[in-house]
Amino acid sequence: MTIIESDISAVVWKVLVRVGDTVEAGDPVVVLESMKMEIPVESEEPGTVTVVHVSEGEVVDEGASLVTLG
Amino acid sequence: MSFTWKEALTEIERRRAAARELGGQRRVDRAHEQGRYTIRERIDRAATQFYEVGEFTAYDDVDATGTLRGRLPASYVCGLGEFAGRPVAIGGEDFTVRGGAPQTYLDRMKGGLGGFVEDLAHEYRIPLVMFMEGIGGDVAAQAEKGHSYLVSSLSWERSYELLSEVPVLAMVSGAAAGGTAGRTVLSHFSVMTKDSVMFAGGPPLVKRAMGLDVDKYELGGAKIHTGISGAIDNLAEDEDDAIRQMRTVLGYLPQNVWELPPRGDRSDPVDRRVEELLDLIPENRRRPYRASKMVEAIVDRGSFFEIGPKWGRSVCTGFARMDGIPVGVVASNPSHLGGALDAAAAEKQVRFVDMCSTFHLPIVYFVDVPGFMVGPNAERGNVVRWGMRAIQSLIQAEVPVVTVQVRKAYGMAVSATSRPDGLSLRIAWPTAEWGDLPVEGGVEAGFKREIEAAEDPEEYRRLAEERMLALADPWKTVEAFGVENMIDPRDTREIVCAFLNASLTRLRTTLGPQRRQWSVRP
Repeated sequence: MTIIESDISAVVWKVLVRVGDTVEAGDPVVVLESMKMEIPVESEEPGTVTVVHVSEGEVVDEGASLVTLG
Repeated sequence: MSFTWKEALTEIERRRAAARELGGQRRVDRAHEQGRYTIRERIDRAATQFYEVGEFTAYDDVDATGTLRGRLPASYVCGLGEFAGRPVAIGGEDFTVRGGAPQTYLDRMKGGLGGFVEDLAHEYRIPLVMFMEGIGGDVAAQAEKGHSYLVSSLSWERSYELLSEVPVLAMVSGAAAGGTAGRTVLSHFSVMTKDSVMFAGGPPLVKRAMGLDVDKYELGGAKIHTGISGAIDNLAEDEDDAIRQMRTVLGYLPQNVWELPPRGDRSDPVDRRVEELLDLIPENRRRPYRASKMVEAIVDRGSFFEIGPKWGRSVCTGFARMDGIPVGVVASNPSHLGGALDAAAAEKQVRFVDMCSTFHLPIVYFVDVPGFMVGPNAERGNVVRWGMRAIQSLIQAEVPVVTVQVRKAYGMAVSATSRPDGLSLRIAWPTAEWGDLPVEGGVEAGFKREIEAAEDPEEYRRLAEERMLALADPWKTVEAFGVENMIDPRDTREIVCAFLNASLTRLRTTLGPQRRQWSVRP
């Protein structure tokens, strides 16, 4: 199990995956908005999405869980 | 018994065979089971020639009660090696002998904390390559001396001195604790295999001191040090990969600070237009791009080697070649924190710029920085002091700096991208924008009272922003010579190469140690 975390305080701009989706290493899973930029958060490894912890428009802190891969 | 050649030469062979046994088959097997090489195998893999020094050093191995178990080779192997086609001082702890503990039982240390191998690098002005796997000090040392000693009786001076003289490269495989960990970070480039650990004190010590049960990988695994602490620059798949990375890094560096780095292959045409930049840099300024991809497109094909890719990621640092000239590249990375300079990125820049300045590599800086990182975490991380040190890094750098204004350049962080007291050659792309603060937010902050007092605050803010945006047009700065030129990004390679080639004369005539040795101020 891998939890993909936010490395910045931000607003969730877009959620790009749903539970059950498979992702490859380097695939963006969420796009955050912070520092006036759309910052894509990528998966570092391949896996299947088991939990999406956030929804669009939500404010997240640094270290917040975004997506869990099984 | 009279002397005979036969017996004398047999004795050398007998002792040589004993030294090759290291700490015994059982311990050697254990290293192999864990997928590691022994120190002799490491040196064999890395060095194309090896002339060992201190080959027959040995000591009495006693158990905890003082009973003699036998004679063992000393826990450090070193000598003169050929690495990446160049003579180097090379050595490392032997973990199969007392966990690679310091050789306090010898008249003279071989290495690990000063010692012969470091004196060799210093005296001959050749690089130092170190394989780190050891527990640092151990209590057995005081049994040998017959008393305990103050650690401050040992000198680190040689290890620090080497940092301003010759390239120092370190690989961690296995465990590097205490003094071994300390010696590792006194290097220009360090690399760690992914299943290795490094710490000031390992889990048993943490348990004892704090009552905390902690997994050794969570405490000081490769992911921690290459991804969070930044104590180690790069991560390696295995030892062969780590050795390869050290060889690559040395290829960009000279033998010592009295020489220029060797020029590499010049087959990539200088006038190659970098068409792909127009696709790599999105027209939508809110969209980030990957700094490393942009750098790879501009520098000599396949020449970019990133250093510290997994921590302090809002700047991307690495070696590359342009027209064969080794250069240090620093690039803001908008894919992380929008490119804002936080304490970690600033620290990474400081170390990297120091290394480039020490070894006479010109710096090419690609700027896209919205400012110092803001927010509670950034402040707690001391972004202000580290940010100012990043600025200092360029003030103290004694090599040419070419700055490319890619996109954003806002706030104090911009001072960390060029050197106003030097040539300060800043070349802008049409995507560039700059100022004290971005207009959005900046107007709000600067004219807060006026806006609030206005009859229609929204309309007043809109008018103010419009006026400021018009003033922020980069062409106005270009006309005022507030930036040295505006160019078509596709010509970046050719123009930067031309200036780098011209700067070689300067580099050639200012060899030697940096006049301003790096300070730890402020």
